[in-house]
Amino acid sequence: MSWTAHLTSFDRRWIYLLIALSVILPMFFPVSFPERVTEQTRSVYDAMEALPEGSTIMIPFEIWPSTLPETEPLARAAVRHAFMRNFKIVSLSNIGAGGPSITERVLREEGDAFGKIYGVDYVNLGFKANYLAVLTGMGTSIRSIYPTDHSGTPLDSLPIMQTVDRYDDVQFVFAISDNATIEYWISIVGARFGAKIGAGVTAVMAPKLFAYLDAGQLVGILGGMKGGAEYEKLINRPEWATRGMGAQSLVHLVIIAFIVLGNIGFIASRRNKAAE
Amino acid sequence: MDPVTTLTALFTLAIYSFLYRDNPVYRFAEHVFAGLSAGYYSGLIFQSVLVQQLWQPLIGGKLWLIVPGILGVLTFARLSTKWSWLSRVALAFVIGANAGILLMQQLHGLVLPQVAETMINMGTIKGLLVVVGVISTLMYFYFSKPHKGALGVIANVGMWFIMISFGAHFGYTVMARVSLLIGRVQFLVIDWLHLVD
Repeated sequence: MSWTAHLTSFDRRWIYLLIALSVILPMFFPVSFPERVTEQTRSVYDAMEALPEGSTIMIPFEIWPSTLPETEPLARAAVRHAFMRNFKIVSLSNIGAGGPSITERVLREEGDAFGKIYGVDYVNLGFKANYLAVLTGMGTSIRSIYPTDHSGTPLDSLPIMQTVDRYDDVQFVFAISDNATIEYWISIVGARFGAKIGAGVTAVMAPKLFAYLDAGQLVGILGGMKGGAEYEKLINRPEWATRGMGAQSLVHLVIIAFIVLGNIGFIASRRNKAAE
Repeated sequence: MDPVTTLTALFTLAIYSFLYRDNPVYRFAEHVFAGLSAGYYSGLIFQSVLVQQLWQPLIGGKLWLIVPGILGVLTFARLSTKWSWLSRVALAFVIGANAGILLMQQLHGLVLPQVAETMINMGTIKGLLVVVGVISTLMYFYFSKPHKGALGVIANVGMWFIMISFGAHFGYTVMARVSLLIGRVQFLVIDWLHLVD
């Protein structure tokens, strides 16, 4: 078998092995690559910085457990930034399977780290079915959709909710999403109710959202693990996303090398066939 | 070692065993995952929809909720050959209501702002690129005339825009999938085996 045939037909499991090594080895021997903060990430940071201390923001966790490695680091980075600025956080989730418990875990852990108190500094409204009705209804009254929080406590008894009952009462919405609900936040909460929205999404979704960024329908975008790493850099708290980006960059280099090799093999084998 | 963490790790390895070849361990893990997800979701919907949004308000006095309740029951008429036509009543309501809500919301919230943004920035190079990209891409999907002459050239330009867009999507998709792999490996190496702090 010629070398060109080898390049186009070798067992793909060798690729899997190399990718696995590229992910595992950086955990034992950390590698780091320069991290440039992109404009779309900085815009989210700037929007949060522009708010006065003590502002109330909404952070919906529209995420499934399967995308946590991507979405949790950027969610934590945003929550940390909010707590660093002493913002109050109103959270909810339109994803029933796991969304509310992820929200609870992230807010409790970060809240404890910053000495924040549940019900005073942050609240988890939990899940209600039918996101169209939920997003539309909260524009006129959050209480009409969520009479109680995630654990059944009436909203009227929570200090944080004394001044919040609709989108007009929150100064910024940072929607974390791994699915199409982000477009409903843009089209309902942003376009209809005029809320300022930033998005923290999985990398798969990020390219589609750039159209909304250009149109001014989004303030900024944190795209996947890289977006999380950039945000961690901005708030000067490098954590999981930053740690993962070394392996991420290494895997990308391996994939680029295989794409180049595969194309060389393809072109060479085509030339060989033409010569025959 | 925490038994739950160990069980999670074993299921993770079972799923990844598919990368070597299809095998019974992988299929067992896949079926357990599908079954658990279906069971969990059924319980969730029962509690959050039937109990919280139907039964509790109903006994609280909101009797008009009998109507959506009956419509919900009608969807199960599909299980009977004789009465399956009744399920169309409920489906017609769901489709009609969603179409009515979504049509205006999508039009005002997504389509019109995007169309407007495409037009108003034509004075800049970026704006011009967007307009050329949108029009040529739309022309690529115009199949009522053969892609020859001027139409062929424009469609070809559109194809390049589509290819560049696919490239950007592919790059981001690779990043997304690798992130998931990193997350799982971090779980195995750090949370399960404690090999790294």
